[in-house]
Amino acid sequence: MAVVAQSPSENAGAKVSLRNSTFLRVSRYVVVRLLTLFATVVVGVYLTIMIANMGGYVDQIMRSQVRDTITQKIALNPAMQKLDPAVRKQLIEETITQEEERLGLNVPLAVRNARYLTNALTLNLGRAINMTSDAGSKQVRLIILERLPATLLLMGSSQLFLFFASIFLALGLSRRYGNFWDKLVVALSPTSAVPAWFYGIFLILIFAAIFQILPFGGMVDSPPPSGTLAYSLNLLKHLILPASSLVISSFFLSIYNYRTFFLIYSSEDYVEMAKAKGLPARDIESRYILRPTLPNIITNFALLIITLWTGATITETVFLWPGLGRTLYRAIGLYDIPIIVGSTIIYAYLLAMTVFLLDFVYALVDPRVKIGEN
Amino acid sequence: MKSKTLYAVLGLLVIASMVLSACQPAAQTAVPDVTEAPAMTEAPVATEAPSEAPKTDRRGGWLDEIDVSVIAGDSAISQLQAGEIDLYSYGLASDVYPAIKEAGLNYSQSYGGSYSIMFNPAVFDDTAVLNPFSNRKIREAVNWLVDRNYVNQEIYAGGSLPKFFAITTQLVEYTNLIDTARALEAKYAYNLEKAKQVIADEMTAMGAAQGSDGKWQYNGKPVNLVFLIRSDGDGTRKPMGDYVANQLEAVGFTVERAYKTSSEAAPIWRGSKASEGLWNLYTAGWLPSGLTRDERSQIQQMYLNSSVQAVDPFISNVSDPEFQKLGDDLAQGTFSSKGERDQMMARALELSLEDSLQVFVIEQVQYSPYNSNVQVTYDLAAGVEGAYAGPYNLRFVGQEGGTLKVGTVDLFTEPWNTISGSNWVWDSNIMRATSTGVSNVVGSGGLMGDPYTGLAWPQRIESAELTVKNGLPITSNLDWFDMQTAESIEVPGDTWVDWDAANQKFITAAEKYPEGATANVKSIVTYPSDLFDTVKWHDGSPLSPADFVMAIIETFDRAKPESVIYDESYVPSFEAFLASFKGYRVVSTDPLVIESYSDAYNADAELNILPLWPSSPVGLSGENSWQIFAISNLAEENGELAYTSDKADTNQIEQTSWVGGPSLEILGRYLDQAASETYIPYEPTLGQYLTKEEAALRYANLKAWYEEHGHFWVGTGPYFLDKVYTTEKSLVLKQFAESADPSDRWAAFSEPKLASIQLDGPAQVGGGAEAAFDVMVSFKDQPYAQADIKQVKYILYDASGAVVKVGEAEFVSEGLYQVMLDAETLAQMPTGSARLEVAVVPIPVAVPAFTSIDFVVVP
Repeated sequence: MAVVAQSPSENAGAKVSLRNSTFLRVSRYVVVRLLTLFATVVVGVYLTIMIANMGGYVDQIMRSQVRDTITQKIALNPAMQKLDPAVRKQLIEETITQEEERLGLNVPLAVRNARYLTNALTLNLGRAINMTSDAGSKQVRLIILERLPATLLLMGSSQLFLFFASIFLALGLSRRYGNFWDKLVVALSPTSAVPAWFYGIFLILIFAAIFQILPFGGMVDSPPPSGTLAYSLNLLKHLILPASSLVISSFFLSIYNYRTFFLIYSSEDYVEMAKAKGLPARDIESRYILRPTLPNIITNFALLIITLWTGATITETVFLWPGLGRTLYRAIGLYDIPIIVGSTIIYAYLLAMTVFLLDFVYALVDPRVKIGEN
Repeated sequence: MKSKTLYAVLGLLVIASMVLSACQPAAQTAVPDVTEAPAMTEAPVATEAPSEAPKTDRRGGWLDEIDVSVIAGDSAISQLQAGEIDLYSYGLASDVYPAIKEAGLNYSQSYGGSYSIMFNPAVFDDTAVLNPFSNRKIREAVNWLVDRNYVNQEIYAGGSLPKFFAITTQLVEYTNLIDTARALEAKYAYNLEKAKQVIADEMTAMGAAQGSDGKWQYNGKPVNLVFLIRSDGDGTRKPMGDYVANQLEAVGFTVERAYKTSSEAAPIWRGSKASEGLWNLYTAGWLPSGLTRDERSQIQQMYLNSSVQAVDPFISNVSDPEFQKLGDDLAQGTFSSKGERDQMMARALELSLEDSLQVFVIEQVQYSPYNSNVQVTYDLAAGVEGAYAGPYNLRFVGQEGGTLKVGTVDLFTEPWNTISGSNWVWDSNIMRATSTGVSNVVGSGGLMGDPYTGLAWPQRIESAELTVKNGLPITSNLDWFDMQTAESIEVPGDTWVDWDAANQKFITAAEKYPEGATANVKSIVTYPSDLFDTVKWHDGSPLSPADFVMAIIETFDRAKPESVIYDESYVPSFEAFLASFKGYRVVSTDPLVIESYSDAYNADAELNILPLWPSSPVGLSGENSWQIFAISNLAEENGELAYTSDKADTNQIEQTSWVGGPSLEILGRYLDQAASETYIPYEPTLGQYLTKEEAALRYANLKAWYEEHGHFWVGTGPYFLDKVYTTEKSLVLKQFAESADPSDRWAAFSEPKLASIQLDGPAQVGGGAEAAFDVMVSFKDQPYAQADIKQVKYILYDASGAVVKVGEAEFVSEGLYQVMLDAETLAQMPTGSARLEVAVVPIPVAVPAFTSIDFVVVP
C-alpha cells in the first residue's frame, strides 16, 4: 500500500487553506445572513407601514377626523360664536386645509410610504404626527426614550426574575418529579391562561383598596419624593404590584415548561449513566443537563431581553405605568405612523441582531455547531 | 384523592361565580311597549356643600398645597375611599352615579355632551333602494319610537337627562323657553303605536309594502337599514344603538347593525356622499358647549344644509323652507329684539322635531366625586375642571391650609404655552389655578365667569361702561357696569386697529380707515388705581402696562408676513378676528383705562365688556408676562422653537413648552441672552411702556424663578406652579401668599343655589270646583327669596300627556307660590289621571328645578 507523505511546507499550506476555507465559509455566511436579515427587516417594516395606514384607508379616516375635530372646536369656541357664520365657515375650511397639509395628506401615499421606510431603515425616526412626549416633544426618538426606562424597569425586573426563578425551581422539580410541589405546579400551570392585567386588578383590590399598604398605580407618589434614595424606594414600592402581576401570570406555566424540558434531558442515557456512576446530583445538573440545554436557554434569554422593549400594554394601563406599551397602543389608536414604525424598526433591528449573534453563540457553547456548515 | 377534592372545590367556585354573574341585572333588556306621559326629568341634585367660607386675612388659595396626579377613572372611587385622593376632578360618566352614592361620597355634576341618532336624509342614487329617512315624517316618527326615559334609566343609570333638542337640556336657553320645551317633550313622548302608524302611512305612500312577516319591502326586497353603531368611547352608544335598532325592527324594518369605532365610522357617515347609500343611521355624539347662554346658532348647526359642519349628511338635508330661514336668521342674528328672537327660537324648536335630521336622545351628565371634608365649586355646565372660580374656593371644610390631593384623567397632554398650547380641560384647569380669573366667555381677562349662570363679574377692573348701537338685541342682566345705546359708535382716529410688523408700530384707525370707522359695541374699562402696586407675578415682578401692550402686539404680529415670528397657520383665525375687531385704545396708564371697539356682539350685555388682560391672546387658559413672550419670540425668531404645532412640524423644530421638554433649555439660553442685552422687544412701541431697569428686573426674577422651579409658567393667580413632573404625570401647586385677592374673594360662588320644590295639592279634582296646589320653593330648607326667582311656571297635562294649560304660579309669601286651576279648565279635561308640573327658574343659577304631582280628574 502506497503511503503519500506530505512535506512540512505542504502541511502548512493545507493549514492556511483550511483557515482560508473557514474564513471564507464564515464570511460567506455572515454576508448572506446579514443580507437575508436586512431583507426580512425591510419587508417587515414595509408591511408594518402598510398595515398601519391600512393601505391608504387611514387617509380617509384622518380626513374625517380632522374635519370633525376642527368643526367642533371652532363651533364650540365662545369667541368664535360671535363671528358671522360665513366667516366662521371659511375659517373652518381654511383650518382644515392647513391641518391636512400638516398631516401630509396632500402628499401621495406611495411617496409617504417610501419616506417612512427610508427614514426607518436609516434610523431617522422623525417626528410624530399627533402625539407628543410627556415633556412636550414631538420627536419620536424622545417619545420612545422618555418611556424606555420605565418599561425596562418593569419588564426587566419581572421577566428576569421570572426567567431565573423558573429555571432554578424547574431544576429542583425535575429532580423531585412526582412529589407534592411538582404536582402543585402542574395543577396551577393553567392559571397562566389568565392575563397579567387581570391579576393586577385583584392585587390592586387586595393590597391598595382593602389593606391600603401599596399604591393603586403610577410610578411614584405624587409629588415624587426628593432625594435619590427616597425616590428609588418609592419607585420600588410602586413596582411591586405591576411586577408581581406579570410574574404571577406566567410563573407556574414557565416553571412547568422548563421542568418538562429538563425532565426530557434528565432521562437521556448519558444522564442515567452518570447517575449509575454515582456522580453528585449538582454535577449531573450542571454538566449533563444544563450544558446540552444551554443553546435553548440562551435563545430564550436573548429573545426575552428584546421583548422587554415591547412593554406590557394592558398591565401598564391598569397600573398607569408610563411605559412604552401604552405609548405604542396610543399611537396605534391615533394612527401615528412614525411612532409605530419607529418602535417596530428598533424591535426589528434588535431581533435581527439577536438572531445573527445567536448563531455565533451556539457555536461557542456547542462544539458540534459550526457556522456556515450545513 | 386530594387533588380530586381540590378540582371539585375549584369547579364549584367557578360554577358559583357564573351563577352569581348571571343573577346580575341585564344591561339591555326587552323593548318596552308601554305608552306613558313624559316622566319628569329630575336630574340628581348635586350634594350640598357647606355654605360659608371661614373668615380670613389669608390671600391667594385656601390651601397650602394642591398635589395633582393622574388617576385611572375606574379606581377613582376606591382611591377616594382609601384616602389616596380627596377629589377626582375629571367628570365620570353617569353610569358610576349609583356607585358614588353607595360609597357615600359627595359629587358635583355637569354636562358631558350629548348623543343623538343621526339620519342619512338623502334619496339614494340607486333608485331601487329606498331610504325611509329621506322622508321627514319618518324621521319625526322616530321621536315617538324612542323611549328616552328608558334609555336614561337602563343605560345611564338614571343619572343623565332625556334630550329632545339641539339646545342644552335644562340650561339657560332651555329655561328661557321652558313652556315650549316641556310642551314639545310631552308631544313627542314615547308612543310606539303612533310611531308605527306614521311610519306605516309614510312607507306605504313611498311605495313600500309590508310582507307576511311584517317586514317592510320595496321592489320586492326588504327595506334594509344600515345602522352605524359606535362601539368605542364610553361604551354607552352600543346599547343605545341596539335599543333603537330593536325599536326599528319592531316597526318592520330590517336593521343591519354595523358596530364601528369612531375612525371606522367617520369615513362612512361624514366622508361618503350621502346619496351613495352606504348608511342610514348613525349614533352621533356631540361635545358639551359649556355654560353657553346663547344657543341660537345650534339650530343651523345641527340640522340645516347651511351648517358649519359643511359635510354630508347636513348638506343633503332639504329642510322645510320656514325652518331653513328661521335657523339661518337666528344664526346670523337677523332679529331686532329679544322677544322676536325668543319667538323665533320657540318656533324653531318645534320645527326641529319635525325636521329631525337628528333625533337627540341623551344629555349626558358627568360626576366628579369628592370626600365629604372637601368643598368644591364647580361650573354647572363644565364641571369642576371648567370652573374659573373653582381654584379660589377649593378647600377643606372649615379649615385654612392643608394639602389636598387631586386626581384627574391626564396631564401635559400637549406642550403648554398660551398661544397654541394645550387646551385639554385637565391642563386648562391647572392653568386657571395659576391665573387671575380669566373668563373664556369673552376670550379675555379681568373678568370672572359665573359658574352658575355663565355671566361675567369684574375681577380686576374698577368700573366699566358699555355702549351698544341702537336696535341690537342686547340685554343687561347684572348691574356692575353702565350701559347705554347710541345711534352710531365712531372709532376714534388714534385707536389701534392693526399692526405694522415692519416698523413695529400700531396702525391707527385714522391711518387704516381715513374715511372713518364705526363699531357695534364699545366698552370702556377702568382698572384700579393701585393695579400695578398690588398685582404681582408669581416670580415677584409687579404687573406693568407693558404686559397689556405686549398681549395686544402678540395678537397681531404673528399674522404679519413681515414679522420675524410670522406663522402662516395663524392667518385664517386672525383674519376671522379682524372681520369684527375694530380696535383698542389705551386712554391712560395711570389709572389704566382701555377702550375696545367691536362689531361682534353677544345677546348678554356683560359678555360685551372687552377688558384687556395679559392672558392668552387667543382665548386659551393661562397668563403671559411680556418677558416670557420676549424670550419665546427670540427662540422662534431663531428657528429653534415655534408656538404652534403647525409651524413646529413645518420647520421640524420643537413646539414651545413653558413647563417641560427640550424647550426649557432653549428658553433658558434666550433668557440669558435677553438679560445680558436688557432686551426690550418691539422697542419702537413697547419702549414707551418699559424702561431698561424694569426689563433687567423682569429677566432677573424670571431667571431666579426658573432656577428654583424648573419651568417658565408664571401667572398672577391664587396658586403658583411649584413643581412639574411630566413623565410621572403629576404636579404641585402652592398658595400664592402675595396674591391681590383675599382667599374668600369668590366665596359667593361656594355652592350653586339650586332650588328644591315641594308640590302639594288634592288627589282628586273636578266636580265643578277649582283646585289649588301649593308650591314650596326652598334652598337648604330655607325659603327661596322671591327676589332670586325669575318665574314659577306650571304646565298641566291630561291623561294622554297632551298639554292643557301653561301658566305662572302666584306668589303667596317668601318661598310659597300657588297654582290655581279654574273649574272651566278642569271641566274641559278628560276624566282620568292628569299631571301638574311646576318649573322654578331661579336667577342665581341657570338650572331650573322641576317637580310634578299626579291627580285624578273626575266629571
